[in-house]
Amino acid sequence: MFDKVLIANRGEIALRIHRACREMGIRTVAVHSTADANAMHVRLADESVCIGPASVRESYLNIPAILSAAAITGADAIHPGLGFLAENAEFAQIVGEHDLVFIGPSPDHIRLMGDKVAAKRTAKELGIPVVPGGEAVTELDQARQEAERVGYPILIKAAAGGGGRGMRVARDRGQLDTVFSIAQAEAQTFFGNGALYLERFLAKPRHIEVQILGDGQGGVVHLGERDCSLQRKHQKLLEETPSPGLNASERQRICDLAATTMRKLGYKSAGTLEFLHEDGQFFFIEMNTRLQVEHPISEMVTGLDIVREQIRIAAGAALGYRQDDIIFSGHAIECRINAEHPDTFAPSPGTIQRYHAPGGMGVRIDSALYQGYIVPPHYDSLVAKLIVHGSGRNECLMRLRRALEEFVISGIETTIPLHQQIMASNAFLNGDYDVGWFERTFDRTS
Amino acid sequence: MTEQSDLTVDGDLVRALAVLLDETGLSEIEYAQGDRRIRVVRNAPSMPAVTVSMPPPTAAAGAPVAGAEPAGAVKAPMVGTAYLAPQPGAPRFVNVGDHVREGQPLLVIEAMKVMNQIQAPRTSHVKEILVADGTPVEFGQVLMVLE
Repeated sequence: MFDKVLIANRGEIALRIHRACREMGIRTVAVHSTADANAMHVRLADESVCIGPASVRESYLNIPAILSAAAITGADAIHPGLGFLAENAEFAQIVGEHDLVFIGPSPDHIRLMGDKVAAKRTAKELGIPVVPGGEAVTELDQARQEAERVGYPILIKAAAGGGGRGMRVARDRGQLDTVFSIAQAEAQTFFGNGALYLERFLAKPRHIEVQILGDGQGGVVHLGERDCSLQRKHQKLLEETPSPGLNASERQRICDLAATTMRKLGYKSAGTLEFLHEDGQFFFIEMNTRLQVEHPISEMVTGLDIVREQIRIAAGAALGYRQDDIIFSGHAIECRINAEHPDTFAPSPGTIQRYHAPGGMGVRIDSALYQGYIVPPHYDSLVAKLIVHGSGRNECLMRLRRALEEFVISGIETTIPLHQQIMASNAFLNGDYDVGWFERTFDRTS
Repeated sequence: MTEQSDLTVDGDLVRALAVLLDETGLSEIEYAQGDRRIRVVRNAPSMPAVTVSMPPPTAAAGAPVAGAEPAGAVKAPMVGTAYLAPQPGAPRFVNVGDHVREGQPLLVIEAMKVMNQIQAPRTSHVKEILVADGTPVEFGQVLMVLE
């Protein structure tokens, strides 16, 4: 087992990783930018190293600085968290070459799934149904032909993209002509690569994803699915498990398929396969070869600590359990609480004046906030995750409403009032929502 | 406003002023009308009504106390190990009291087997050397003070 793990991330996920390490008796090294010198996980970690100024490029994406910090602290493994370098195959490779263990999948699998076009091809080869489309296009003529083949309406996506960013819809040839070159430019800006691909745009799908854990020794299990259809501009606001939109046989089918194919691939560490579900059909969209923000809801219904499992697996342990050993119990929902105005979504960094987290049965808060903490403006706006678990969906909804009432975060704007509105809407209470529902119902800015 | 005798406390006014204190974050408000005067003061220090979730502060390895940074501070531009001499056993680049020219090497920081020279930003004197030879340094750490 590792003696010391370097946490190459920030915010609530860095705290999450620190906690898992501490519970395993592993010492932690928190690397941080100057803006994060007072972050909670930095204060709690056994050691901390400032690796650069506030800018992400010079700190959390600064590979030499991170490796240097690992060298001077004698860390034996690096957990990349999510975002930043978590899906950077080069980073995973370099870490390995420096006699450090990268807590995550192999560089090859990161590379494979990082290229969204190659990922879909691989999925198809493994027998996973995919959204029609997927061939890379670089010229408008090519795009027009591909669009005719796939069928309008189409979604234009970046081949090197992901995380819901840089996607555009074209409902007919006219729109495609208008939007194509803009999409290329955006892909270049966001992901450093202007290659695009087209997919059929589904009208009212649900976003269903399956959590996978593999040990690289043939052991692969799934931890159930998550419904992440509540989104705004392709960014998830709330997630729940099990999905209210699936019946038992659909759930079984997609989870088993995900586990079987990952077993074929020999996948190691945590990963999530994302699908769109419409009219009883599943379509693979992408795979994230890392820990996800919403992993806690899968933990609540299975009792497994996913970060702990990642660390155990990276240290060479076999899973030690099979699919049958995993018992699914109850229902769990997570609300992402952002430092944003609840109506305009304008970012709201600043000093936390008062902070009081809800408690009680079945309530979990994953947050690095504390009274007096200054939320910096340089990073993404997620500041807290409110997770509730209940014996069923109704109990969860009551618990969530109750917990939201208790939650105090003052000094900045947060999306807590927005979640309270969602809790009051019939469609959500009935579990009757698709990926477009939130924007159709709430978002006056879109 | 209703007529009040001099000895009657205007409860509504006091309440309104108290609310105003909270809303504005002021610590004291004084309101006067004619020769009637009322002052509302917030108790200092104010007790937070909610649980303070402050984690225990933990000292960071090798980081000096973040106080006011001295003018003339030479800060580490990278993470690595600081060496005060070009080789083990060789004389140090500089000593306290030395006069240094702009561009003169003060120390090196080794990062990933590469030696990076840290040079004097301007002609000055070495006032303080704040790192020991062969110790790890982090980004922004004050290494020396020049004057």
